Amino acid sequence: MGQVFQFAINGLMSGAIYALIALGIVAVYKATRVVNFAHGYVIMMGAYFYYTFAVLLPASDWFPDLTYAPDWLATAKAEAPMFSPAAAYLSWLENLPRIAFGLIAAIIAASLLARVIERFFMRPLLGQSQFAMIMITVGLISVLSGVKSMIWTGDAASVPYLAPNPAIRFEVFGSPVFIFGANLASMVIAIAIFGAIVLWLRRSAAGVAMRAASEDQSTAYSMGISVPQVFARAWVLAAATGAVAGAILAARDGISPSLGLFGFSVLAIVLMGGLDSFVGVFIAAMCVGVLEALVQWQLGGDWVEVTPYIAVLIVILIRPHGLMGSEEVERI
Amino acid sequence: MINGNLKATYAADERINNNAYKTAFVWGFAALAALFPFVANDYLILIACQYGIMVVAVVGVNVLTGYTGLISLGHGGFVAIGAYGVTIIHAGLTALSVPAGLQPFIAIPAAMALAAGIGLLVGLPSLRVKGVYLAVATLSASFIIIFLIELDALAPFTGGKNGLTTADPSFFGWVLDTQREVYALIAACAFATVLLVQNLFRTRVGRAFIAIRERDYSAEILGVSLLRYKLTSFAISAACCGLAGALFAYFYARVLPEQFELLLSLQLVAALVVGGMGRTMGPVFGALVIVLAPEFLKLTLGALMGSTVEAAQIRAPLQEIFFGALIIGFIMFEPLGIAQISDRVFRALNRWPFARG
Amino acid sequence: MLRVEDVHLSFGGVKALQGVSFEAAKGEITGVIGPNGAGKTSLFNVLSGFYTPSTGRVIVDGQDISGLKPNARAELGMARTFQNIALFRGMSVLDNIKLGCHTRLNTNLWSALRYFGSAQKEELELRADLEERIIDFLEIDHIRKAPITALPYGLQKRVELARALAMQPKLLMLDEPVAGMNREETADMARFILDVQEKFGTTVLLVEHDMHMVMDICSRIVVLNFGQQIAQGTPDEIANNSAVVDAYLGQAA
Repeated sequence: MGQVFQFAINGLMSGAIYALIALGIVAVYKATRVVNFAHGYVIMMGAYFYYTFAVLLPASDWFPDLTYAPDWLATAKAEAPMFSPAAAYLSWLENLPRIAFGLIAAIIAASLLARVIERFFMRPLLGQSQFAMIMITVGLISVLSGVKSMIWTGDAASVPYLAPNPAIRFEVFGSPVFIFGANLASMVIAIAIFGAIVLWLRRSAAGVAMRAASEDQSTAYSMGISVPQVFARAWVLAAATGAVAGAILAARDGISPSLGLFGFSVLAIVLMGGLDSFVGVFIAAMCVGVLEALVQWQLGGDWVEVTPYIAVLIVILIRPHGLMGSEEVERI
Repeated sequence: MINGNLKATYAADERINNNAYKTAFVWGFAALAALFPFVANDYLILIACQYGIMVVAVVGVNVLTGYTGLISLGHGGFVAIGAYGVTIIHAGLTALSVPAGLQPFIAIPAAMALAAGIGLLVGLPSLRVKGVYLAVATLSASFIIIFLIELDALAPFTGGKNGLTTADPSFFGWVLDTQREVYALIAACAFATVLLVQNLFRTRVGRAFIAIRERDYSAEILGVSLLRYKLTSFAISAACCGLAGALFAYFYARVLPEQFELLLSLQLVAALVVGGMGRTMGPVFGALVIVLAPEFLKLTLGALMGSTVEAAQIRAPLQEIFFGALIIGFIMFEPLGIAQISDRVFRALNRWPFARG
Repeated sequence: MLRVEDVHLSFGGVKALQGVSFEAAKGEITGVIGPNGAGKTSLFNVLSGFYTPSTGRVIVDGQDISGLKPNARAELGMARTFQNIALFRGMSVLDNIKLGCHTRLNTNLWSALRYFGSAQKEELELRADLEERIIDFLEIDHIRKAPITALPYGLQKRVELARALAMQPKLLMLDEPVAGMNREETADMARFILDVQEKFGTTVLLVEHDMHMVMDICSRIVVLNFGQQIAQGTPDEIANNSAVVDAYLGQAA
């Protein structure tokens, strides 16, 4: 029983990150009716930006070290036993300037990237067929993946966690449960961002403009909504949340090009939940997270990578528009 | 009215090469392909074989994505099934002591049928969902196919991550054990595939595909069974990719799972977009660009940087960027692809000197 | 020929059709009229199988077709055109019309792959037949190779009629065939519809707003308002029916 709990909580923690990534795909879809196949690669870029600004730059000679190292911290760190929670908090505090700088810079850089993509590749196709725009994102997969390998030639590396990473141990029904603090914190961050953005889209004028643009671009345009601006906002939103998700993932799994492929499993999750339903996608993300954890437990780690794909095929066959997606009534 | 296209019978009007320059082009191409193995060096044979295999696979993607309008990002998976299918079937036939000279005649159709069967399975969601959902479904299917091939439990059959070695095919005792000989097989298959698939689109079957792409409900009203034709399209498409896979296995005599991953699926789509979706000549032109692009890059980099380590390092990423840029560039500036450009050229030739453009 | 029995259709809470029943006699032109939103197109969509009515039956030639898919209905000889033209825009006029013959042809996948032989024979016969029977008849020979997008609205409507006729339908359903046309084009279209009825003996069901045309060419008229059938009869009866006049002009205060 305790073991089930352990895997369930592991699943929820990775599910929350899925949800955060999915948010970007759904937001872009809601605003522009384009499914961004390259979202995983945008996230990969976000992760590499974080790696650059939090690790590579501070390590270079000409850039400030960006660590917070007053005397008391050094002494406290020396006194704290290895792998103790205190040591974890102290080392996080020491790295905090790097983490904050890296995260903010990564968000800015990813947003800039999104603006470039939107302005030069998406906007010229405004009003063209969806097919064309989807194909553009397919082309972007290749371009972003190539650009990444051009700039960052190094192998897999590790980056600092966003939150302190003490090991948390407790017992449930007599069996031990073990959680990394940073993963728990990431889950909280992911859910908070997800909730805040969904609320913002529901309540704010910008959110209404986005929904109007998704209904009918030309009508929205003629009603005075700047459709290009809505598009740009959606892309920036997706890239910014993607950068946070990328930083979390990079800290958890190490930084590597396979982050791009990760995006495809999130795409599967998005379709499972229903392309245009934030709630459905959130539920699907959590379900797949837990499902993956259970698969890992019962069938082994190999099967985890195909779990979302098998799940999406089954869900699409049973409910073609996902768990909570709206079925388009065909007008003839 | 300028048409340069005057016909006296319906039969003449229904011809495909309705223009002397097109006829000349097709026969010229065929003659070149036939003479090629006698004059080309090994390097050119290698390129030509890669090209032929690519053409067959892209024709398959064209049937589904170009003509029927169902986006697929997972056709690399069907190529994998063809390649592994033919390899494993060969091993099985040898075990059953079927004469070697007959084996390819069983193995190739069987591998195609296997790919078509799995295509039908993957196509099932297409009956209920359209567009993006289908693209993700096919993508998922291809990930699952590669995963199963690499799975340790199936390694006794598939060789797992180490891949398999394919036997040299023997046609009634003529063993194709050099690349130059396999070229003959590939060229014949490529021509046959392009021709047969082109024929489809002169009849009700192909028209039904196009109608589904254009407006599915309207097609249904006119009596086109969406179920039947979407699945048929999937099966034909997968069978072509299966054939490409079989040729691939014969040509390289070795199959590895990583050769069929996402990059291949993207290359197939890129070739189609570049060549022209829903056009007979689309795959023929597009595959040429996709096959020549890496060679072109290699030459350019070699000229600019010499054979340095850096040049070798940036070649792979550059190639990736180039494929992506091709898709994006053609979608933005010539969405109908090279086939459209060639159409313009042929039209201009036909009218010359009376009109241009 | 066509009998509609007590058809009800609703989308969620919206009742699009409430108890529509009428009969279209063989070889005659029956008109369906009503103000905007009366449920005319919904009725057509029920007839061609896009919407499944919650209750009621549709009977063609004595056969209950309520459960059939749209393509199966086409094979029974039901053809239709659409209110906002649903031609295949990426195909030429000729290919559009050929597609209309889909149900009449027999080429299967294998003969199609070969082409030469039975498929070619069938295609050439089809071409000759279409040229004589449809393209000449509807006077669209000058545009047969043109892409749909290059055609003006009136011609597109005519091509759509051609595509429906290619099927050699027993029942032809026309959804607003002259909407948005000028007088001359309307007169042309009315003449074509009458010709079709005379020449092929086709049963025609027609939804239209142009009252003059409906009154002129229909032998029976069914009037819908807010999903309810408020009258049916000959054009004269309808013109003098007070409920119909109320629906169109508004009730006298």
